[in-house]
Amino acid sequence: MNDVGPRSRLSRRQVLRHGLIAGIAVYVAPLGSRAYAALFDERLLTAPAWNGRTASLKYRVDATSKVTGGKVFARDIRARDMPHWPQQQAHALVLRTTLADRLYAGFDLSVLGSDLKPDRVVTAADLARAGLAFPAFYGEDMLLPPGQTAAYLGQAVAMLIFHDFARFRFAKEKLQFNDTVVRYGTVTGPLQRDPWGASRFVRVGGKTGYDEDVFSCTKQGPVSTVAYDRHEPVWPQPARDGDLGAQGMYHAQAIDEELGHPPADWLVMTRDYATQSGDTAALEPDNANGWYDSAKQEMHLVVPTQSPQEVAEGVATLIAKSRLGLKRLFLHPCFTVGYGSKDHNPMPYYGLLAALYGDGRPVRLANDRFDQFQAGLKRHQFSMRYTIGVDRRTGLLQSFQAGIVANGGGRANCSVALTMVGATSAASVYYFPKTDVAATAIASRALDCGSARGYGALETLTATELMADELAAALGLDPIEFRLRNVLKTGMKNAQGAVPDGTQRAEAVLAKARAHALWTGRAAAKQAYEAAHPGKFYGVGFGCIQRRFGDGAQASFAKVEVARDGRITLSHTGTEIGTGASSGQAVACVRWLGRPADALEMAVTEWPDLPVETSGDPHAMSQDEQDRLSLNPRWTPAFASASSASNSAYYFTHTTQAAARVVFLYGLWPAAVAIWAHGGPGVLQAAKPEAARWRDGALVVEGFEPLPLARLAQEAHARGLVVGAAVHGFNRWQWTEADFDVVGGAVRLAVDGLSLRYGDGAAAAKQALASTPNRYHVLNRRTAAFPPTRNNNAMVGYNTAVGTLAELSVDATNGKVAVLAHHTILECGNMLVPDLVSGQLQGGTATGIGLALHEELPLYEGGPGDGTWNFNRYHLPRGSDVAVWAQTAEILPPLSDSEPPKGMAEVVVIPIMAAIVNGIAHAIGHRFRTLPVTPDQILKVLG
Amino acid sequence: MSLPTRKLTVTINGQRRGPIDVPEGMMMIDVLHEMLDLTGSRLGCGVGICHACVVIWDRDDQTSEEVQTCITGADFFDGKRIRTIEGIARTNDGGEITALSPVQQAFLDKFSFQCGYCTPGFVNAATVLIERLKRAPVPRAEVEATVAAALENHICRCTGYVRYYQAVRDVILTTPGLTRDGA
Repeated sequence: MNDVGPRSRLSRRQVLRHGLIAGIAVYVAPLGSRAYAALFDERLLTAPAWNGRTASLKYRVDATSKVTGGKVFARDIRARDMPHWPQQQAHALVLRTTLADRLYAGFDLSVLGSDLKPDRVVTAADLARAGLAFPAFYGEDMLLPPGQTAAYLGQAVAMLIFHDFARFRFAKEKLQFNDTVVRYGTVTGPLQRDPWGASRFVRVGGKTGYDEDVFSCTKQGPVSTVAYDRHEPVWPQPARDGDLGAQGMYHAQAIDEELGHPPADWLVMTRDYATQSGDTAALEPDNANGWYDSAKQEMHLVVPTQSPQEVAEGVATLIAKSRLGLKRLFLHPCFTVGYGSKDHNPMPYYGLLAALYGDGRPVRLANDRFDQFQAGLKRHQFSMRYTIGVDRRTGLLQSFQAGIVANGGGRANCSVALTMVGATSAASVYYFPKTDVAATAIASRALDCGSARGYGALETLTATELMADELAAALGLDPIEFRLRNVLKTGMKNAQGAVPDGTQRAEAVLAKARAHALWTGRAAAKQAYEAAHPGKFYGVGFGCIQRRFGDGAQASFAKVEVARDGRITLSHTGTEIGTGASSGQAVACVRWLGRPADALEMAVTEWPDLPVETSGDPHAMSQDEQDRLSLNPRWTPAFASASSASNSAYYFTHTTQAAARVVFLYGLWPAAVAIWAHGGPGVLQAAKPEAARWRDGALVVEGFEPLPLARLAQEAHARGLVVGAAVHGFNRWQWTEADFDVVGGAVRLAVDGLSLRYGDGAAAAKQALASTPNRYHVLNRRTAAFPPTRNNNAMVGYNTAVGTLAELSVDATNGKVAVLAHHTILECGNMLVPDLVSGQLQGGTATGIGLALHEELPLYEGGPGDGTWNFNRYHLPRGSDVAVWAQTAEILPPLSDSEPPKGMAEVVVIPIMAAIVNGIAHAIGHRFRTLPVTPDQILKVLG
Repeated sequence: MSLPTRKLTVTINGQRRGPIDVPEGMMMIDVLHEMLDLTGSRLGCGVGICHACVVIWDRDDQTSEEVQTCITGADFFDGKRIRTIEGIARTNDGGEITALSPVQQAFLDKFSFQCGYCTPGFVNAATVLIERLKRAPVPRAEVEATVAAALENHICRCTGYVRYYQAVRDVILTTPGLTRDGA
């Protein structure tokens, strides 16, 4: 690696972002960023290869580094790659309990002998002495002290640090799978604890789905538990005129009574469903590399993360609360992959520990796959009991009662929020006049669960789609016809009583599926296939769901700058987790600037050019609190969201395009007008920004000279117009809007923070306003309209709908299911980069196939908590499992040119799961209700 | 340190490396990562299943095969010639990339990968396949099955495989000499 040489014109102080968190100065230079490059002379992103003629991206901006095996991942980094770190790399491993029903009594390393002894051992006692503890989100006992029973299988008890790799490697080999190392005492039984949380969503609609509700969450809020009795939630006593909880329970009781004694025309069905514990199995296992410079009191950390903001804040806060005197934190978040498992993940904090106890050496902590199964965040196991009442005559759904239990394992992590999302998504594409969904996230000795692609909705929606088929069959209706009769239409209320935003397109998806050859021809195809393949059964199944993207508190920063030569630079808080968000955001600049961003920085967590303050919980604050706080022109409810909840296409794009639009309207457009004005005053009347189009990188208005971006940029700089804009946006199922005095008057923009950079030709008075480190003028917003806090009750604001048909065969000799083909119908607005959408769809359906047929982890003993699980026992789909050549997909055309892109990366995982299980029912006449459906289960049924 | 070592000399990407002292029993992937600064062969499972760690072993008889470095001891490679992902693209004396291989370019053009962790393994597998087809072309009608067989052992968690497979198929169909007519 090169030293920082004279080539690097920016000083380190200027280049690194500077923020103060809990009194500690935090510098963040994401791996491969400009900031990092100025230090370490390494770039990971290329300028976009843009085909101007077709307005398309030729390949990803991170493609070259990835296809050549470049150092892209935190996992690839060693001390030698960090120029100002000591070059000798130390390595750490974590000892874990494999039993959670007896006291932990310490460990015995004598199996290592003297040759393989660790150089440093870290236990709970060390942490207590130093005052080191997890941030509150992660709970207790970063390392379990002796004399306690572990909260969950695989809980960490100690960290061992080795100064050289070879001894680390051979020590690990000796310790792994060795039952004699960790010692135990008295058998206590597992910890019995109250659930992590429980909530209940009750709604009684009006006469129709368009009318005012009798009772709903959006008006009244979810029902909360009053207490737990023997670890079960206790709901309020029903009372029609009681408080909101009591009223909710009054209606819940009425729903229950009606389902128990239904009208004569109703069919009432009750079914139990269960989905499995699983591992997202991101191929990059969790890891961290850190160096603690005790002389300077500086901590350096290289981490993969979907949530760099959370890591920066969490690590700084952890250190600040300790007895260590730390002054500065240097954080290097890296490109990664996680599907949720690297979002709010405790690994960075263990990486911090490793560095703190490295005796001045950089320490690398990196899970192998056995470790990853034992310690990586797991997918929640869900159990659901659904009772649905439907009118036999009309086939219309009448009532939906659900009891949902998600097993959150030994730490809370996001279990409560995830279970709520599962609960509030369960009604899927259907309109129900009445719903009562109770959801509990239990605590257990199962492994720590976190965010996993689908986030609770994957599990509950799959159950709903299985039940929809069964209801249709009981009514004698075609499954898709049944769905069409009950589909939620635009303007109708969801199960929380909120009207989801925009046109609801599930109906269009269903109509396409019903007409597809796989569906219309399935009876004939079954006959033909089974005749030609004795011993095999053929089936076609369908699933259709809609799922929200975003989480009701989406926030991001974006900064767009156009240099004098027309080069566009985009900075964004969003991170690249493999989805191609970096490419998508570069392309998002095309709309207002005619070209993708030439230089791109993702995972930027410090914004000295747009100071923003945040406080309170955006999901839980009262309207009064929000109104009071928003009087501060710097305040916003949330700082920056992690890459999660399928949020880049819609939410990140919004701030990117808001910033680009400001630069266009107040920089490039006036520059264009000024250039054209040389043609005479009449010109000015005729030229309107709405008439402007970008063509081949030049701004075109009919009748005027096309102006290339470089020329506009030069003019804008010379005239001191706006050449850069930084924005902050916040969305709670609606964008915040605010008024700003931009140039010559107030404008309303869909952002809550704005700062501007002017070209060098700006007058002295204007220059004087540009007071931030990179010469930005921070505007105080005049008024701000934040989305009302009652939107939190809506839980689902924006939807993407998708349906999948799956064609399969079941082999009677061995029970194996072969997916022959599948076809997915998706609506996702206007696509930024169609190849990326297609790739997400292909990958998402593969994940769904894995969950339907192949992947499963035991929850407790015998599961991965014992450290023995790997890909030999957990089958990930291969090419032969996913109909790799035969699968197809269609994307519905957007509603208009201006329909924004919609998040779709989680939604596409889900319908194929039900499609496969419904297809198996078509094939062999048996409906499975637990996942995965395994060959053994099929053989049992066929036998 | 009293761990016994063995000398390892291996030609990697055309360059002779060693003799270096490698602790006995160490897997090749650890030598690549910790001693040779070649981190592109990635650790996915450590038990030889996912194939993210494969390098290309070039044998004296002009054939090549993928070898999982996570389960193959370093001493297996003593005296042998291998290619890692870092050596697939053409580079100049300064180490800068001057040309991607046709397989790499196809993966770019087809948006074949997402996170990129498994990509080195897929590049190597496709490279071995294409070189094999040069020596023994297959009928055009068998290309898809041939691609599927060559890549089946490689796990990808992001992409669902479609664009990897399509890219390799397209390289085979558009490169002269890799297919033959006939049933």
